[in-house]
Amino acid sequence: MTTADERVVVGFDQHSTEYKAGFPEIGHPMRARCPVVWSEENGGYWIVTGRELIGQLAKRPDLLSNDHDPTGKRRGYGGVAIPAPVGGSTRGGFLEMDPPEQLDFRRVLNPFLSPAAVERWRPMVAELSAACLDEVVESGEVDFVDDVANIVPAVLTMGLLGLPLDDWVHYCEPAHATVYTPPQSPDHPRVMEMAMQMAFRLAGELERIKVEPRPGMIRALVDAQGDDPATFNDEDLVGTLLLLIGGGFDTTTALTSHALHWLDSRPDERRRLLDEVGLLDTATEEFVRFATPAQGGGRTVTTDCEIGGHRFGEGDRLWMAYALVNHDPEAFPDPDEIVLDRFPNRHAAFGLGVHRCIGSNLARMSFKTMLTEVLRRLPDYRVREDGIVRYEDIGTINGYQHLPATFTPGARQGPPLDEVVAAWQRTLDAETV
Amino acid sequence: MRVTVDPDVCQGHTLCALAAPGVFLLREDDGHSYVAGPEVLPEVEEAVRKAAATCPEGAISLEE
Repeated sequence: MTTADERVVVGFDQHSTEYKAGFPEIGHPMRARCPVVWSEENGGYWIVTGRELIGQLAKRPDLLSNDHDPTGKRRGYGGVAIPAPVGGSTRGGFLEMDPPEQLDFRRVLNPFLSPAAVERWRPMVAELSAACLDEVVESGEVDFVDDVANIVPAVLTMGLLGLPLDDWVHYCEPAHATVYTPPQSPDHPRVMEMAMQMAFRLAGELERIKVEPRPGMIRALVDAQGDDPATFNDEDLVGTLLLLIGGGFDTTTALTSHALHWLDSRPDERRRLLDEVGLLDTATEEFVRFATPAQGGGRTVTTDCEIGGHRFGEGDRLWMAYALVNHDPEAFPDPDEIVLDRFPNRHAAFGLGVHRCIGSNLARMSFKTMLTEVLRRLPDYRVREDGIVRYEDIGTINGYQHLPATFTPGARQGPPLDEVVAAWQRTLDAETV
Repeated sequence: MRVTVDPDVCQGHTLCALAAPGVFLLREDDGHSYVAGPEVLPEVEEAVRKAAATCPEGAISLEE
């Protein structure tokens, strides 16, 4: 039981270099003292590190709000980023909403992202993955981030949204750079400018799809706006598109990079993943658990309350530290080891409760497809450790900017990437008629 | 053994269908889980226990 006076106070900031260097072990001493601790950093906030407690908290969206209300129309809450973004004036789509509004958005988008819906995209993802590898296979050199893991999820996201597949290039750098560039970086102003251009571009696409409907998620949101213009207003639609691009691009890239890096020195595990039926499925959950690409999410306490024996006050900020929860030894034996056949695996890497990652099925499918293709086509790849660049700040997304590798060159097996993208564009356009 | 999925607790993580395919089915529209029928055949009891243990939300209940 913690009270305002008894709270366990730690020095903690998920955006710090100490966090990046200490993850995941950094959570253990905190968790050993209390499954929820308090830090004075970032304006003061709770950090939830226990698997049992986070499950209880996630079931109370009435007490823990995701709302982001920078203009003070409601209660002025700070949304899911801790600290709240400087100068951020819009909320991040339905992730920064509470039920019932949040559920209205998800009801529109869920049919695009269910396991059944996602299966329909598997052939495109497989061809894109193969084409990305064809582009590098003759050279013997690859950057798994720039050449594969940045491209496939990005093109796929364009397809789902109903945007031209080629346009992924306009969103790629801002989608990643806004996540890995901390506010104190000299590059921050340029990245913010890119982010603004991205928002303008999406607002333009939204207007275009209102008059020239193309099937996809944007069209579905526009149709929902017709029925309920107050909930599905333009501002929240653009916020939602930015959320879908951020979630669609950056997280799967991070997951794929982590897995390929871990497999670098483990040729036997690479072979097992290709040969053992079912291992890829459990391994995917294990890589997601271990790396937790989306490290956590902020909440605001809506009323003085007690949950799981811990007291919280109205307005308190709280960080659902999925990444640290996923290394709780009470729930995961040997939590800091990757065990490819770990199952059951009650990880919280896709979040818990009503905000469960809406793209989790898409992420699994594209991750498995990319990983399998790399293991098949570049079986002897070795990562160039000196060329690895991790995100400067992993507190939002635990990602890689670069993961270069060398391998024995091979022969192309299919057409160039731009031809594959163009062919899929024709296929999608034909489906629309 | 009997099994139920609480639809108010399930959030569509889909791990139950990975553990015990055929017992747990996923809805077309949102991927949330439901059971084909409450009675669990002896040969899949072990798989269903695993499904209950891996559900991140604790949405699956078993009656032995």
